[in-house]
Formats: sequence, structure tokens, C-alpha cells
Amino acid sequence: MSLARTRLGVGLSHRLLNQQRSTVLRSALITYRSISSSRCSHAAPLDRHDSLEGPVRIRSPAATGTLTAQDEPDKHTDSYKDGPSAIDKAVHLFFFTEILRGMWIVMENFFRPPYTIMYPYEKGPLSPRFRGEHALRRYPSGEERCIACKLCEAICPAQAITIESEARQDGSRRTTKYDIDMTKCIYCGFCQEACPVDAIVETQNQEFSTETREELLYNKAKLLANGDRVEAEIAANLHSDHVYR
Amino acid sequence: MVSLARYIRNIRRTGIKQWWHQMQYIGDAKAGTLVGADQFGNRYFENLSPEDEVPGRHRWVDFAQHYNNATQVPPEWHSWLQHIRHLPPTEDAVMKESSPPWKAPWVENLTGTRGAYRPYNTVVPKIIAWQPKVMVRG
Repeated sequence: MSLARTRLGVGLSHRLLNQQRSTVLRSALITYRSISSSRCSHAAPLDRHDSLEGPVRIRSPAATGTLTAQDEPDKHTDSYKDGPSAIDKAVHLFFFTEILRGMWIVMENFFRPPYTIMYPYEKGPLSPRFRGEHALRRYPSGEERCIACKLCEAICPAQAITIESEARQDGSRRTTKYDIDMTKCIYCGFCQEACPVDAIVETQNQEFSTETREELLYNKAKLLANGDRVEAEIAANLHSDHVYR
Repeated sequence: MVSLARYIRNIRRTGIKQWWHQMQYIGDAKAGTLVGADQFGNRYFENLSPEDEVPGRHRWVDFAQHYNNATQVPPEWHSWLQHIRHLPPTEDAVMKESSPPWKAPWVENLTGTRGAYRPYNTVVPKIIAWQPKVMVRG
């Protein structure tokens, strides 16, 4: 008994000492920081609390965090009161009623018309902003739009576009090489957003699958041919979206 | 049994011959108004009645070719078939206006045939492979 008491005393005093030391240390630290980061006039020592008082308690606003386990809502309600009885549950279990209900839903849907869309005869809806196969456009006069500014090449996150340019005989800068590696392309649409003259666009064509890999390495002639074929659709899509651009 | 009634109703509307044709391709008895035909002879149908078609199946194409694929639809009709544009290209004023005089004829996806696209370099190659020259011995 006496041994325990002495040990308790020792433990208490030890803890008290620790607390005291940490308080001193903390206030010293605060003082040091405020000196280093503030002007000299404010370098006066902070109003120190008594070192025996201990750290200042941080008070929460009233009525927060006052809910304890005793105040738990719905503690005294019986959640099984209005539910099925054990016999009901056993009946459902032994007569497979849930399985039968599931089978009934299956049978209902068996006699309903299917929602399957019979591709390629029928197709699902597509946005005018859909990003599919690329195409290079022309002006209505037939002049190609691309001016070889290389913005699309610069913005392409997959680095799928390669452009080389030269001055044409009339002095205008045009691309001699406009290659898109469609195997690299991630169809993000940044190229058509970057293009200042709406030259490179992504058409609504999504059915350009090929049997060999090399057919997906598009060059300028292929891209211009794409644009020449689908110009009406591209222009109609741009027209339908022009209010939002 | 709604769909069976619809099936028989559509057979009676289109006739046995058209029903047999549809069963070879689209696999369903469908009846609708003929909206138009493109330059390849593909015919386009529409039926907006909710009793006949579920939403999403109300526009369809009857291909002219036996070996059909989706790329046989020209782009103007493609945008009608995929519900991008409301009106068919025969009535759509925007689509009619935006068709330039230099428009190229539509070609379907020719992959796997001799008409398939083959990539080539459009500039002079920067690296030219070494061509060995054999000196004539003395």
C-alpha cells in the first residue's frame, strides 16, 4: 500500500514536471518565432501565463461536441418491431420466394420488346461535337485552310501529329507533311480547338477501322481527302454549334 | 405479347416480300415511312410511333449491297441516321447549303481490299539509304 502510494506520487510529480517543461519550451518557441518574424516594437515578450497553469485550453463554441453515447438518437427504438417476424422470414427462405420473384421479372422482360439497336442498320444518337476520324478542311474557294502554324502539333498530348512546312510559290506557307498517327491519337480534340483557321477537325466518322496498322498512319493527302468527302457534314455540325463556340 | 402483335402488324403493312428481305438483313419486321434514298441506292426509313418502335430504333437504313457495312452510308445521311441532325439531308437547308462544289464522292471503308489506303511520305526523305557503288577493277 505504502509502496503503491509512493509510486503514484512519483508518477504524478513526474508527469507534472513534464507538462511544465513542455509549456516552458512552447512559450519560448512562440517568443522566438514572433521575434524573428515581426518588427522590433512587437518583440516584447508575450504575456506569459504562470508556468504552473499549464497549456491554455482551446474552447470550442458552446453546444458543439456535446453529444455522447448516452444521447445517441434512436437508442431505445426497436427496429425489429414493424419488420417481418422470424416465421415470415423462414417461410420466405424455405419457399425460395426471392428467387421466384427474380424469375418473374426475367419472364416479364422476356415478353417485352428488346431495346437492342440493330447496328449497322440502326444507330444510336451522336453529338455534333463527337470526335472521330480527322480531316483537313478547305475554304469554300477550294484553298486548303491549314497555314502550318503547328499549334495542333504543339498541343497534341500524344504527339501524334507531325508537320513540316515550306513556302509555296505564291509565298504562302503551307504544309508539305501533315501526318497523324491514328494509333497514337487519343481523340481529345485539342487539335481542332487549337486550330485558328478550323483546318483540322474531327469528323463524326467512327467507322475507320483497318485491317493493318500502317493504314492508320494518315498523311496529308488522306486527311484532305477525308475533308473533301465529309465537308457538308462538318460544316453543318459547325453551324449547329456556332452559337456555343 | 406487345411485340408479337407489332411484328404481325408490320408484316401486314410491308408485305411478305419486304418482310423476307428485312429478315435477311435487319432481322426484325419494321414498317415506316420512306424518308429518302442516297446516291448508292440505300433507302432510309423512319417511324416515330411509340407503339411501333422503341426510342433509338426509329431510324434505320436498308442497304443496297448484300455485303453491307456502316461506312456505305454517305456523310449527309450518316448525320441523319445517327440523330446528329433532325431533318434528312433532302430537307435540311443547312446541309444543302454547306455542300461545296469541290466535294469529293464518298468512298466506303476499303480496308482489306486493293483500294485500301497505303501511307506514303509526302516530302523528300531526309535520310537516304547508302547505295553501294562497285568500282570496276583495273
